[in-house]
Amino acid sequence: MSGEFIMHSQRWMTMLPLLAALCGGNAWAAGHDEGAAFSVRGFGTLGVARSSSDQAEFARDFSQPGGIKGGQWSGRIDSLLGVQANWRATPELELVGQLVSRYRYDESRVPQVEWAFAKWEPDARAALRAGRIGADFMMLADSRLVGYSSLTVRPSTDFFGPLFFSHFDGADVSLTWPLGGGLLRGKLFAGTTSEKTAMAGGIWDTSGVPVHGLVFDYLDGPWQWRASTASVKFSHDIEIARLLAIELRDFGATAAADALTIAGTTTRYHSLGVVYDAGPLQVQAMLNAIRHEAGYLNHSRAGYLLAGYRLGTVTPYAGVSWWKSSRKSLSTGLPDIPFAVLNQTFDFALSTSVADQTTYTLGARWDVRSNIALKLQWDAVRGSAASVLPFIRVQPGWNGRTDVISAVVDFIF
Amino acid sequence: MALRSPLLFLSLLLMASLAAAELVVVANPRSGIERLTQEDVTNIYLGRYRHLASGLTAEPVDLAGDAALKVRFYRALVGKNLAEINAYWARLVFSGRTRPPHVAENVEAALHYVAAHPGALAYVDRAQADKRVRIVFELGE
Repeated sequence: MSGEFIMHSQRWMTMLPLLAALCGGNAWAAGHDEGAAFSVRGFGTLGVARSSSDQAEFARDFSQPGGIKGGQWSGRIDSLLGVQANWRATPELELVGQLVSRYRYDESRVPQVEWAFAKWEPDARAALRAGRIGADFMMLADSRLVGYSSLTVRPSTDFFGPLFFSHFDGADVSLTWPLGGGLLRGKLFAGTTSEKTAMAGGIWDTSGVPVHGLVFDYLDGPWQWRASTASVKFSHDIEIARLLAIELRDFGATAAADALTIAGTTTRYHSLGVVYDAGPLQVQAMLNAIRHEAGYLNHSRAGYLLAGYRLGTVTPYAGVSWWKSSRKSLSTGLPDIPFAVLNQTFDFALSTSVADQTTYTLGARWDVRSNIALKLQWDAVRGSAASVLPFIRVQPGWNGRTDVISAVVDFIF
Repeated sequence: MALRSPLLFLSLLLMASLAAAELVVVANPRSGIERLTQEDVTNIYLGRYRHLASGLTAEPVDLAGDAALKVRFYRALVGKNLAEINAYWARLVFSGRTRPPHVAENVEAALHYVAAHPGALAYVDRAQADKRVRIVFELGE
């Protein structure tokens, strides 16, 4: 047992009574009268996880600059705390602000403003939000940080890993209308990103660029269907690729240099999802396709299937997910003599955006109280040795396989 | 205790089913709502769609804490326990979408709220539904 694990266990022991006190009420909704004009509440996750592989660090998503490896228990990737204030100024107007502290692109846990928006609901069928709002790129994407709201320890890395945006500054408008016995909801959003992300050992500035999208949900009894599309037009390059592009351009390899240029290119995220939620049974199935104009970034597809069945207060679940990129064939066009090193560097750069893996998940959620859940989960990542995109600091000898064990407590207050 | 006659057994079954049908949803008589379907009540309580045919916005009322009536209501309506209902609302509240129901401390407070707000709805035992409110849905348990 590592020292870090002991440290985390001790921290847990001291945190649990605090948590119980914090989550004092028997039921979450008890302390929150929605008639009240002002409310403050929060959510959080305290957890440890270990990933068996020594050759690559497992992270939750692209926004994290480091992960876990070598069988060491760590609280790094999943632990977080969020606080949200809602102020209902008038029956139609509500102001919402949310601060979240989590492991971020710059390795700090400095709290950041996740949401800060005004929401106007002229009637029960329409809502307009403006300010900093959740990036609802894919089904369940804007509640990814709220562990308590989901069955699993973390959202599927294969499916949500490439989605490093959690919010943007702009507006969205949604309309709901009855259709064929169910409800159809359409949402249009547009704005500007305000987040940076960790990428290729550095920080990639993905802020200040336009984003927009369209979402359709159809809700019918226990079924919820979703189709969505979103696009982001980047304005900054990934530093390593930019430096390589300068060198390639110097030697006349213009096409290769252009392929490494991300500034000015658009990435599109398409997704389809369905959730079946009836009584104790919950099933989720989703597919996505991510298309990059930038030649250097491989297109990818991912999907997952997850099912859980509640038995009393314990819900065992099982899932399978996959993430596969389609390799673009690109070369510098330069002869190996004398450009062998440059050609190899270019090929290496292209190889860093390859994902080719399947993850099998088994776990259980135990609802200890109606605002605290304990979860234990095993993820078996089975990929090819080329699958390096989902991981951080991949070392020689990486075989695409790792087993991740996680134990977390999720709470709301 | 052994049941002496099939008749007694049948009448006990009948009584049990009558008792189980006692959970009702009530609305303000001025709401313009005569009847709601289970789908309507689900949409209103889960915050999916709260537009009433009369043009009013429905204002569902929940009981505080783990009230037995609340446990029965959600089990009968959607087959969920309160932890699942809280998890559902955590998703919607923390993604800044729909508002959860108004919370009343007890049934009397819930009835008082419904009587005072034209769009309000609450769940109560049939015996508790008085002249201030109108029964618009009966839950089978």
